[in-house]
Amino acid sequence: MKKKAIDFSVITRSKITWAVVAEILILLVCFIIRPDFFSISIQPSTGVLYGSLIDILNRSAEITIIAMGMTLAIALGGTDLSVGALVAVSGAMALKLMRWDVLEYSTPGDYTVYPFWMAILLPLLTCMLMGLFNGILISKGGMQPFIATLILMVSGRGIAQILTNGKQFTTMYSPFRVIGQGHLGPIPMPIIIMTVVCIAMAVFVRKTAFGTFVESVGVNKSASRLSGISSDTVIIIVYTLTGLLAGIAGLIYSSRIMSNDSNNAGINYEMDAILAVVIGGTAMTGGKFSLIGTIIGSIIIRTIVTFVYYFGIVAEATMAFKALIIAVVIILQSEPVREYFARRSEKRALQG
Amino acid sequence: MKKVLALGLAAAMCMGFAAPAMADVQIAFSQIGQESDWRTANTDSINGTIEAHEGWELIYDDAQQKQENQIKALRNFITQDVDYILFTGVVSTGWEEVLAEVNEAEIPLILIDRLPDCIDDIDYVAAFGGDFVEEGRRQVAWAGEYLKSVGRGDEEVNVVIMEGTTGASAQTGRTEGNLAALEEYPNLKLVGQQTGNFTRAEGQAVMESWLKSIDKIDVLIAQNDDMALGAIDAIKAAGLVPGEDIIIVGCDSVKAAFEAIVAGEMNATIECTPLYGPFVEETIEALENGEEMSKEIVHPEEGVYDMEGGIDLGTVTSVAAADVIDERIY
Repeated sequence: MKKKAIDFSVITRSKITWAVVAEILILLVCFIIRPDFFSISIQPSTGVLYGSLIDILNRSAEITIIAMGMTLAIALGGTDLSVGALVAVSGAMALKLMRWDVLEYSTPGDYTVYPFWMAILLPLLTCMLMGLFNGILISKGGMQPFIATLILMVSGRGIAQILTNGKQFTTMYSPFRVIGQGHLGPIPMPIIIMTVVCIAMAVFVRKTAFGTFVESVGVNKSASRLSGISSDTVIIIVYTLTGLLAGIAGLIYSSRIMSNDSNNAGINYEMDAILAVVIGGTAMTGGKFSLIGTIIGSIIIRTIVTFVYYFGIVAEATMAFKALIIAVVIILQSEPVREYFARRSEKRALQG
Repeated sequence: MKKVLALGLAAAMCMGFAAPAMADVQIAFSQIGQESDWRTANTDSINGTIEAHEGWELIYDDAQQKQENQIKALRNFITQDVDYILFTGVVSTGWEEVLAEVNEAEIPLILIDRLPDCIDDIDYVAAFGGDFVEEGRRQVAWAGEYLKSVGRGDEEVNVVIMEGTTGASAQTGRTEGNLAALEEYPNLKLVGQQTGNFTRAEGQAVMESWLKSIDKIDVLIAQNDDMALGAIDAIKAAGLVPGEDIIIVGCDSVKAAFEAIVAGEMNATIECTPLYGPFVEETIEALENGEEMSKEIVHPEEGVYDMEGGIDLGTVTSVAAADVIDERIY
């Protein structure tokens, strides 16, 4: 009897539990208002899964992918503010390579000026290099992550604007469309990409010692160094990875709209990603982290947005509504609340 | 070494400022920044006109969407004692002090595009800007008149309004116009209203959700073309035909919207022109000749473009997009 009670309090003490509870509560409200929120069908004309739950997963892809990297950056006790701007850089670069010069190639069409692999790999490489730049500033330069990544957050959009001469390029190149609007079997491509990224990340941090290194550096940098972990290398790898993931998200974003939108692409993504990580139970102070928690956090954020659209919350109240739900989720997860529930369940178990 | 460098820089700056004083008429333009294709076309039109005009000198400042940069620019213009100041504010409030300084310096102020809230408390020689309320009215009126023209004037149709960034003057004005015009067409029933933040990506996501939560959508009123273009993809993904199953009316008249209309995927776009050059030229020429200008806010002449043309909206009649697409420069 006693053993069972302890198990239960472990569950109520876990932040992930409360993230899951929050998600289930939101979905429950959706179900009560309109059960058909949950209907999923196969769209006959396209053969793709169709339904609000699919939309939530599909459109959470960008934030989930970015938040995978953000989780590690936060576990290191840092943060990466540049990811939103890198989304814009990645999209601008891809469109630039496909359209190159809009004066010469004046109408968008099903063509690419530079080979497709270049239009995909060069943006990713650029974002990786920008991430590397962040990592070097933080590790070798000893800068605060907040300040170091602020540099690219501010200048990144400018770089994206310069790449496309401040213009919005549009393309109709069909292989590019596959990334954001295509599908593998009945599953939308962004969900596939997101799943692959999440699995790759999980394997990388949990099946190698890298995850432990990150947690160790996040808890105590000097102690880790003394125990033989090169904290500089860990930091550089994490920020480079975050840059790469922001690049992938940028390609998905720009493929969805088949254009670059340097002013709006990835705007506030750094905040959404940080929020996803925090809702997922990783503390901003660094140390232990949870990738699964982050995925749930990202899905919660997208569920709220979809809820607002689906149930037609008036435009003026949208922001306040989102803030309210997120505040409730964060409070549910806070130390005192979790302690309270854990103690209650312990007490009840003892009484029983 | 540092001192020499500083002296050199100071000298260079003095020369930089002194040089334009040789020109006849100096026109300073404080622009918001480069946030969109619309803005780029706006800058090109105004700057191009001034630069091409003989005897006119342009002093241009790009504020990169920051009010403090604009205030700094306006103060610089005062110091340089330019002949005219063209001004559009990145936000609508907080201009009282610096515009009062412009008044004190007795430099003629021409307000364009986004007019400041303090417009009644300051002296200006001319004001020119888009009529967002009228644009909103035209959007709904086009849908109403078009439905009449195809014999669906009495049929009850479901309308959704995709709004711009909440609080932006274009959003508040167009929403006001949209809602007022809906009263005049009782067969148009409003079934959804949501912000798409003027972006393609959000327009797509909002439409995607609407198509699932609203049983039948007949008309989409998108307060800019970008959101309409995003919505087109969502409509296709839902297995519907944009432009046929759902009538789509955008706003701004960017080139991509013309292409969509010609391709039959969008029905109409209400123009919001950025081409302010001719107005600026006329105004300054008149002022140079000593003519007195009216303080009334002047609205640009704007068109409505659709698939076939000929829809009469009272103040304007629509033109077929295919006929004018080659003339569009933005």
